[in-house]
Amino acid sequence: MKATARCTIVPPYLLVRLARLDDPRFAAAAEAARQSLLRDIPLREHRAAAHPLPPALAVRAGAARQRGRIDRSIWDAVGLERLPGRLLARAEGWPPTSDPAVNEAHDGLGETHTLFWTRFARDSIDDRGMPLEASVHYGRKYDNAFWDGERMVFGDGDGQVFNRFTLSLTVIGHELTHGVTQHTANLTYAGQSGAVNESMSDVFGSLVEQHARGQTTAEASWLIGEGLFTEQVQGVALRSMKAPGTAYNDDVLGKDPQPGSMAGYIDTEDDNGGVHLNSGIPNRAFYLVAEALGGNAWEAPGQIWYDTLTGGALGRRVDFAGFARATEAAAAARFGPGSREHAAVRSAWHEVGLGLSLPARAPSE
Amino acid sequence: MKVIVSRSGGIAGIRVTWEVQVDEQPDAPSWRELLDSLPWGQAEETAPEPDRYVYRIRCAPHEVVLPEPQVAGPWKDLVDRVRAVNEGR
Ligand SMILES: [Zn+2]
Repeated sequence: MKATARCTIVPPYLLVRLARLDDPRFAAAAEAARQSLLRDIPLREHRAAAHPLPPALAVRAGAARQRGRIDRSIWDAVGLERLPGRLLARAEGWPPTSDPAVNEAHDGLGETHTLFWTRFARDSIDDRGMPLEASVHYGRKYDNAFWDGERMVFGDGDGQVFNRFTLSLTVIGHELTHGVTQHTANLTYAGQSGAVNESMSDVFGSLVEQHARGQTTAEASWLIGEGLFTEQVQGVALRSMKAPGTAYNDDVLGKDPQPGSMAGYIDTEDDNGGVHLNSGIPNRAFYLVAEALGGNAWEAPGQIWYDTLTGGALGRRVDFAGFARATEAAAAARFGPGSREHAAVRSAWHEVGLGLSLPARAPSE
Repeated sequence: MKVIVSRSGGIAGIRVTWEVQVDEQPDAPSWRELLDSLPWGQAEETAPEPDRYVYRIRCAPHEVVLPEPQVAGPWKDLVDRVRAVNEGR
């Protein structure tokens, strides 16, 4: 790498602070700082140079790394829409920073990794110890969080409708689960398979929170994104798995549109065919299984859904009916045909309009 | 002439729509210039990324659906301008 020597008057940490300024009086300074940060040298090299592995460790890592060891990196995008971001804000083993978004992302990745490793013996996203990366402070007043195929990305929210997206552990678990799905069933992100993909992220996102808090099915909120809305919004969360369609009802945002059964299935071209809308149907089916079985939802219910996701039997474009059949088969395989768990799964799908004894009311498309 | 931008998806799955009556804008000629310069009908099919926004941009007779990573260059200029008018900026 060739780096051109430059005279820099403003130290990098100050540029980062300037770039984050939200005050309109300093808009020009903030923009200048962002431009200046952008001109800088690539960061991957920084990272490698700053934290080289000791030779002995490097050799061992190459030979046989220890399964289940977590390796997190939290990047700060400093208000830009560039990934992974400008600064490595916290790596594995580093102490907490003064930035709550960085610490929330770090801790949330930890809780998510813990659920998958301790309950399902899954070693990170790819089951091969893939390092976990998150970027925070993405964009300006960015009202979203997403998975870009390699890392999870979190916006700060606009402050009027949304708070920062790292506030909810379910959202962190949701994003990381998109990575797990990508490395397993790889469900096509459109239409019904896209809604199953979304539901998987809500299921495991919720389980991460329940597991971290030690909550049983009866104690859990079953909300996705609780605390993301500001106090100005009439709503408690983005979605409710227990009662889809009830998470918010606000004069600006409208009413939570999620259906909780096939009778309310939404045919739309928006949102990749309603992937965040119709996911309410499989979400509620999962809740009903958990409710029927009682206790901790990450045990039998989570195991059945995990087996379904990772078992290799799901087609990439599976529809709801095919997914329902696959969960029943997974329940029968693990707990026995006619077991309590198998019966709970059958009855849950029946209740959301996808029972096998009745022909599912297929959507018109 | 009316431009309608609707954004769906995102982890929240909340749809937002912004509209602008181009002829009522003080800078209508520059709006028309921007609208004429857009590569309508040249959007590529790309695999959707989880939880990213999907933009539907309409200006009769044109309509295009763009995943968020493709909203760049003149498309981004348009979306930003439409939002700015709607948000009173
Ligand atoms: Zn998602």
